[in-house]
Amino acid sequence: MALLERLASRQFVVVTGKGGVGKTVISAALGSLLADLGRRVLLLEVDPRENLHQAFDVPPSGGEVVRISTHLSLQNLQPRQVIEDLVRHHLLVELLARRVTASPIFQHFVEGAPGLKELAVLSEAERVIKAKGKGRSAHAAFDVVVLDAPATGHGVSLLAAPQLVSEVIERGPIGAQARELARMVADPERTAIVVVTLAEEMPVQETLELRDALEVQVARSPELLVVNSLYPPFPGGRVEGPPNDEFLLDLWRTRREVNERELAHLAAAWQGARVEIPMLPADRGPRLLAGIRQQMLEMGQAA
Amino acid sequence: MNLRDGGLSLVVVVGAGGVGKTTLAASLGLMSARYGRNTLVMAFDPSARLKDTLGVGEQARDCEVPVRAGTEGTLAASLLDAKLTFDRLVRRYAPDEAATSRILSNRFYGHLAGNLAGILEYMAVERLFEVAGEGRYDRVILDTPPTRQALDFLGAPSRIVGFLDSGALRLALRPWFDDEGRLKPTAHLGMLGRSVEGFLDRMVGIDLLREMAEFFQAFSPLFQGFRERAESVQALLKSPDTTFVLVTGPGEERVPETLFFARHLVEGGYHLGPLIINMVHPRTSAELLVRPDLGDGARLLSWLGERDHRGVAAFRRLILGGQTLVDVPLLAQEPTDLPSLEALGRIVAQKIEGSLESFAGPFRQ
Repeated sequence: MALLERLASRQFVVVTGKGGVGKTVISAALGSLLADLGRRVLLLEVDPRENLHQAFDVPPSGGEVVRISTHLSLQNLQPRQVIEDLVRHHLLVELLARRVTASPIFQHFVEGAPGLKELAVLSEAERVIKAKGKGRSAHAAFDVVVLDAPATGHGVSLLAAPQLVSEVIERGPIGAQARELARMVADPERTAIVVVTLAEEMPVQETLELRDALEVQVARSPELLVVNSLYPPFPGGRVEGPPNDEFLLDLWRTRREVNERELAHLAAAWQGARVEIPMLPADRGPRLLAGIRQQMLEMGQAA
Repeated sequence: MNLRDGGLSLVVVVGAGGVGKTTLAASLGLMSARYGRNTLVMAFDPSARLKDTLGVGEQARDCEVPVRAGTEGTLAASLLDAKLTFDRLVRRYAPDEAATSRILSNRFYGHLAGNLAGILEYMAVERLFEVAGEGRYDRVILDTPPTRQALDFLGAPSRIVGFLDSGALRLALRPWFDDEGRLKPTAHLGMLGRSVEGFLDRMVGIDLLREMAEFFQAFSPLFQGFRERAESVQALLKSPDTTFVLVTGPGEERVPETLFFARHLVEGGYHLGPLIINMVHPRTSAELLVRPDLGDGARLLSWLGERDHRGVAAFRRLILGGQTLVDVPLLAQEPTDLPSLEALGRIVAQKIEGSLESFAGPFRQ
């Protein structure tokens, strides 16, 4: 329990990892567990193809805040929309803002400019955090933002973006905002970083690279590593099967061996907290979420 | 330059991250060389194991290294590096030495070259042109960078050119600053001009604006070259000698996204080769399930086999007409040496034999 309570004391939990490792369902499980601890949680997803809502069997967000339970809501963010809103906010004149955002120059700039979308996502998270208790906006009612970080490239690019932008734009409101976000991301009192991986060679290699990159670029380390989708332990001793099953048994044995080898690798190389989640026989949806929540609760108590 | 002149064919392996693209690209490359074609495999970020398997290390970054595979055709591998390719492009298009060093030493360039969205994808195809010019290969297999959506790869060239060529940056090309580093348009306004300059300085810092202006001015002779290049890149990707191999995992939830991309490729005028459903768990027998010694694990394995079987069936049901579908079983372990890489290549090659005609010309000669 100590582990979850530690996470629950933060305002911002960033869940990062490569595509295909189950990052979204882990975010969902963490978010709902923090909500169970009495925190009011907003789960943020950044993906035009929404997935997060499937775990809870609620309708997709379409950019709006969707309430899941008393303490838990979700929202899908579109970085473009966030940037356009920012322009509108700063230009004040609606007509002018519309002309700016509709211009091809602006569109190209938003698509190409390094770090801009990442900055927009983090700004939005920060806005929710700051809105706490202020007024009656949809965002005023949250204690914690759990961000299912986009899986493009290395996870470090999202977290390092503020620092990167603040190095290029040293002054002015953009520079100040970038510096403020860099401080938020680097502050372990406010922000927790959770990395999700599989116990396979490539994901583990990239996880350790991510940790090193975070240390260099953001000067901090992740709070928690979630090792997802482990094959079940292979029964000891010699197992034989009918010829059809020989291949499968070999696959099971070998895949589990790879898992164990990589877990040992992580045990030696990763100093922080770790939880291990077995592969579960359930498709994407509430049943898988329930299984993962259960596992995280048990492991979280041990960690 | 026309890639077809050299009889060179290109295979582009696309798909979401984590579906085994890089390993498949390497195994296809090995088979291609086995069939007598001089083949180059270009990869982005292969695992240490795959690099070991191919016998190439960091020395393959940005250049081709021969793989000692004992194949009839030669096999070479190369790792892509966006920054190095960008640097080389600048050297090629810049009018003189001074212009080159002005760009390369610009702080703004340093930031841009490594971080521009889509830069890896763009530079991958840029590299292809360089390699094609050398005429040493019959076939190039291009592994694409991991993106959340396979579609990102196709849009990259136009995104990059759009950004570099956009009006915002054209604005920056105007001579805003005089020799003393003062803003020109405001200089004649006296005190008022000073305060405009002061405002901009407060907003983003005048040094940044100066550096950006310097960068885009130094870059301006390169624009034409970049635009033409982007057009050639599009033409190359749509050439009849280019085939896209789409790779996906077996889960049913992947069907809509994968078919969406397949349709997009076909409608966009690209040549779609086989659709590979990779890492399919085999189905288990009923006996396995009732064995007491295997416990819960057997039930999970059985569930995985059924799940993937359902996924493959869904792909078969929904696939585009004329599209070849290849399901590749999950291997007990990732290939660790050339023979196991070739074994994987053989499984795939055998399964796509039927679609070889559409596979960028005759795969087997």
